[in-house]
Amino acid sequence: MAAAGVGIAVLLPFVSLVMWSLSSRWFYPQLWPRQWGLRAWQYVFSTAGPQILAALGQSVLVAATTAAISVAIGIPAGRALGLYDFRGKDLVSVVLILPVIVPPLCVTMGLHLWFIIMGLAGSFFGVVLVHLTFCLPYAVFVMWGIFSNYNPSYEEQARSLGASAWKVLVRVILPLTFPGIMVAGLFSFLLSWSQYLSTLIIGGGKVTTLPILLFALMGSGDRPVAAAVSIVFVAPALLALLFSARYLGGKGIAGIR
Amino acid sequence: MGDLELKNITIGYGNTPVIRDFSLTVENGQMASLLGPSGAGKTTVLRAVAGLLQPRSGAIIIDGRPANGLPPEKRNAVMVFQKTLLFPFMNVEQNIGFGLQMQGRSTGEIRRRVEKILELTELTGLNRRKIHELSGGQQQRVSLARALVLKPAILLLDEPLSSLDATLRQHMRELIQDIQAQTRITTLFVTHDQAEALMMSQRVCLLLNGRIRQVGSPRELFYRPADPDVARFFGGCNFFEGRLKNGVYYSQYATVAAPGLSANGDRLTATIRPEDIRICADGNRGITGRVQKTSFEGTTTRIWVQCQDRVFVVLAPVTDLQAGQSVRLHLPPDKIRIFAAEN
Repeated sequence: MAAAGVGIAVLLPFVSLVMWSLSSRWFYPQLWPRQWGLRAWQYVFSTAGPQILAALGQSVLVAATTAAISVAIGIPAGRALGLYDFRGKDLVSVVLILPVIVPPLCVTMGLHLWFIIMGLAGSFFGVVLVHLTFCLPYAVFVMWGIFSNYNPSYEEQARSLGASAWKVLVRVILPLTFPGIMVAGLFSFLLSWSQYLSTLIIGGGKVTTLPILLFALMGSGDRPVAAAVSIVFVAPALLALLFSARYLGGKGIAGIR
Repeated sequence: MGDLELKNITIGYGNTPVIRDFSLTVENGQMASLLGPSGAGKTTVLRAVAGLLQPRSGAIIIDGRPANGLPPEKRNAVMVFQKTLLFPFMNVEQNIGFGLQMQGRSTGEIRRRVEKILELTELTGLNRRKIHELSGGQQQRVSLARALVLKPAILLLDEPLSSLDATLRQHMRELIQDIQAQTRITTLFVTHDQAEALMMSQRVCLLLNGRIRQVGSPRELFYRPADPDVARFFGGCNFFEGRLKNGVYYSQYATVAAPGLSANGDRLTATIRPEDIRICADGNRGITGRVQKTSFEGTTTRIWVQCQDRVFVVLAPVTDLQAGQSVRLHLPPDKIRIFAAEN
């Protein structure tokens, strides 16, 4: 029963999206589209195909870069926070969570001026940087949790068995925390993937990710096309989720305790 | 193979020294144990030898070469921790081969050496097992094999048997002894269990409160403890006082010829092990006492006997004594150990 309920709640929006994308005439008081058709999909794959493909590529590039940097910073930061007690640890956690609590509009508006001054506005790297302000806290918090349940003696054992500091990182720390790294990477990727406002403001229309294109299409009032593009938009995210679902449970993380 | 020499080591965390002026030599091929109660600093010494922490002063010499500045991976000393710390993402074979891989050995050599060590540690056939599929004893043996396969100059064992049950522990002790006798790897073994130290090592170093109290053969520490604390650590519980006069030790419980001691008129403490006290049947010899209580311990029975103002603990094989009963105790003079004057 519960599973069915969850299933319905998850699938319901997708059902209407699919219906929208397959309709050609569907007006207000009608409960069902009057006429079905593939016009929207034809538009997505032929007319707007290159445009959507370019936006898809841009989105993947931005999200992947953001996720990679998030994880690369999240691992050492989480390790320090999880294993050591130091002065100002509480302050660090407050500062980390700040961009998550403060409305993204405020953060982005506030950063915009500085990004213009530093020449980062309208650039790929500027967009990645502003996405990082939202993604990095999640990555650090996930890795913090992982390293709170982590036994650093594994590293000492590896050193004693003859592994150099670098080998310990690659052969011991990364495999031990791999499930956490996957979760942190996935969170960052998905969060960056769905950024609209910050991309719009910092990217200034020059960095066209999929959400930017999607909003433009929705603004034009063509609902079936917007629905079809929306489906294109969620598909990669769902794929990423399915691919890494096995790391989300406790099972993968349990081994390192 | 090699010897280990620690010279005047002082180690501390923050401002408080944990180990003070510690010196110990373990000869090539020897098995030595570092014995002491929990918190005595035994593991700290081991970690310093392994290179996992730096001593504040003193020298660590492994196989004739000073090792003070060397990182752990460059030292020819491998530590086996109390927890097995087997890498959960590797199988048995990969865990054991880890160190060899770090040395850059060829796949063929690794496979050959791993196979050999699996046999030595009675793990043959478990190559592909995952770590969580192993029993506690098997995990402990993999952990040991992982260090042994490297043939280090010094093997450091940090209470590797403390998590095992009594039967398994006994088996593992024998196994470690056998392996050590075969491989002749110089081994420093940390334990808080006096029986384990006595059984497994050729040399015992007793550590109390960060200082060495006595180093010697197991028999020396057991039968000729340097001071009452050492005796107490090995289960000594009968202490009494007496005076020395012209080479003879007089106490109200026994009179002992003590030719080695010269001090005259000094009050000296003496001890006798509980199993050395004899319960006499005839009514002439020894001192009289009254049984306080008895406690059955399997092969022996522990009897508390009140004699004048002191309670003696006696370990006797079989007894049908009852509380309140009168007995006579004989303290054989040759079993009494007199301590030189305490400072």
